[in-house]
Amino acid sequence: MASSAATRAAAGASKVVKPIFSRDLDEAKRRVRELYRAWYREVPNTVALFQLDITARQGRDKVREKFDINKHITDPRVIDMLVIKGKMELQETIHVWKQKTHIMRYFHETEEPRPTDFLSKFYRGHDP
Amino acid sequence: MAGLLKKTTGLVGLAVSQNPHERLRALYTKILASLQTMPQDAAYRKYTEQLVSERFAHVTAEPDVEKLEQKINCGQIEEVIFQAECELALSRKMSEWKPWEPLVEEPPPNQWKWPI
Amino acid sequence: MAASLVRFVRGGLGKSFNIARTSCLLQQQSRLQSSTTETSPTVRPKDAVTHNQLTAFGEYVAEMMPKYVQQVEVTCFNELEVMIAPDGVIPVLTFLRDHTNAQHRNMIDLTAVDFPTRQNRFEIVYNLMSLRYNSRIRVKTYTDELTPVDSADSVHKAANWYEREVWDMYGVFFANHPDLRRILTDYGFEGHPFRKDFPLSGFVEVRYDDEVKRVVAEPVELSQEFRKFDLNTPWEVFPAYREPKEAAPKLEAGDKAPEKK
Repeated sequence: MASSAATRAAAGASKVVKPIFSRDLDEAKRRVRELYRAWYREVPNTVALFQLDITARQGRDKVREKFDINKHITDPRVIDMLVIKGKMELQETIHVWKQKTHIMRYFHETEEPRPTDFLSKFYRGHDP
Repeated sequence: MAGLLKKTTGLVGLAVSQNPHERLRALYTKILASLQTMPQDAAYRKYTEQLVSERFAHVTAEPDVEKLEQKINCGQIEEVIFQAECELALSRKMSEWKPWEPLVEEPPPNQWKWPI
Repeated sequence: MAASLVRFVRGGLGKSFNIARTSCLLQQQSRLQSSTTETSPTVRPKDAVTHNQLTAFGEYVAEMMPKYVQQVEVTCFNELEVMIAPDGVIPVLTFLRDHTNAQHRNMIDLTAVDFPTRQNRFEIVYNLMSLRYNSRIRVKTYTDELTPVDSADSVHKAANWYEREVWDMYGVFFANHPDLRRILTDYGFEGHPFRKDFPLSGFVEVRYDDEVKRVVAEPVELSQEFRKFDLNTPWEVFPAYREPKEAAPKLEAGDKAPEKK
């Protein structure tokens, strides 16, 4: 166990990766918090601008859910990449480049849950 | 006189130069001065010095613009001036980048192997 | 054709060719010996002058910038390729643009190639052209999913949209790009379609829904979990794929040896 950790540390030392923005995890987390804050503030504007049939509360819950999906990630570079993509999404939302359909895609309103047990799969008729 | 001989270069955004000799002389001196800061054996310095001093010699020897263009043989004199400007900017950047140093990073094995 | 492929490993600066390659080329050469003398119009004529010019220019570039140039190659179609380290994108492109003997002032194309098996899976390719000397050059570098590459926008303005395209299609991040955002895919699209691991059918399908009165996207039903493609073409393409020749069938004692052709 210790030896494998040592080799991993050695590998980490020999291979220096180029950071995207953040040098360590704390910095990456700070960026995530900034992004989250920006999204949080933007939600009421978005609801008003796009005339969505949801409350700001629901929107913020959705933002929270989207952030929570990736909460297991610890590599600062992966976090940075996700933050970059999140920022682009935010930009698209703020400038209203997106349309209502793109925003509402986050909510998966029309999707039916996939059948799990045998009988409902049978009723559905085909097994995709 | 040069202005009377040539009304336009025929190229968009490239005005006829009134005193190309002076301009070129100034530029070439600056390039050579910038090259002086590089190490003696740098290939960039060697080749550029050779090229620039050759053109510099043509500029000092030939007062007539059209003959000078033919001697340098790299387009109209305005284009030659533009090239010299680029070269000057490049030589200044080069002394920052120091490309004569040894390879910064070996490619990973099989990176350039084709077919994979 | 491949016999005209010359490759220098830098370090040797063109004086010492890659030994392994030359030896494999020698085999090649002996195979192609008959075709080189052929004058039929279907055989691509060799252009030794261009080839030598490009070789000389490639060596020139490699000698000028030993810090960044890893390898220089002239392909069998007389295309000069310069392989550089990812740090050297801006210096090499600027050098090729501004140096009086190069003047590759036009960026024709910028794209990426995905090789999932390599350590650095993306190859970034810059195609440049010099109007003054009527020549083209291809600069190649490499990166992986998480390593940013310096944006070439400060050198060639044309790179702006090309880099957006590469970002969109491959997910390569370009540092210091002035306006990096999606260019071809729809807003809210997830994934990078030109990656080899992106399924052909995509992840979502889009349809108009009458109940909610808007277009909705749903997970695609034809999800392509795993499919094994048979990518072996029936034609011989690359010499590396060629199977080693079968050993001559063993002859029974007393049998006559087959005539040599």
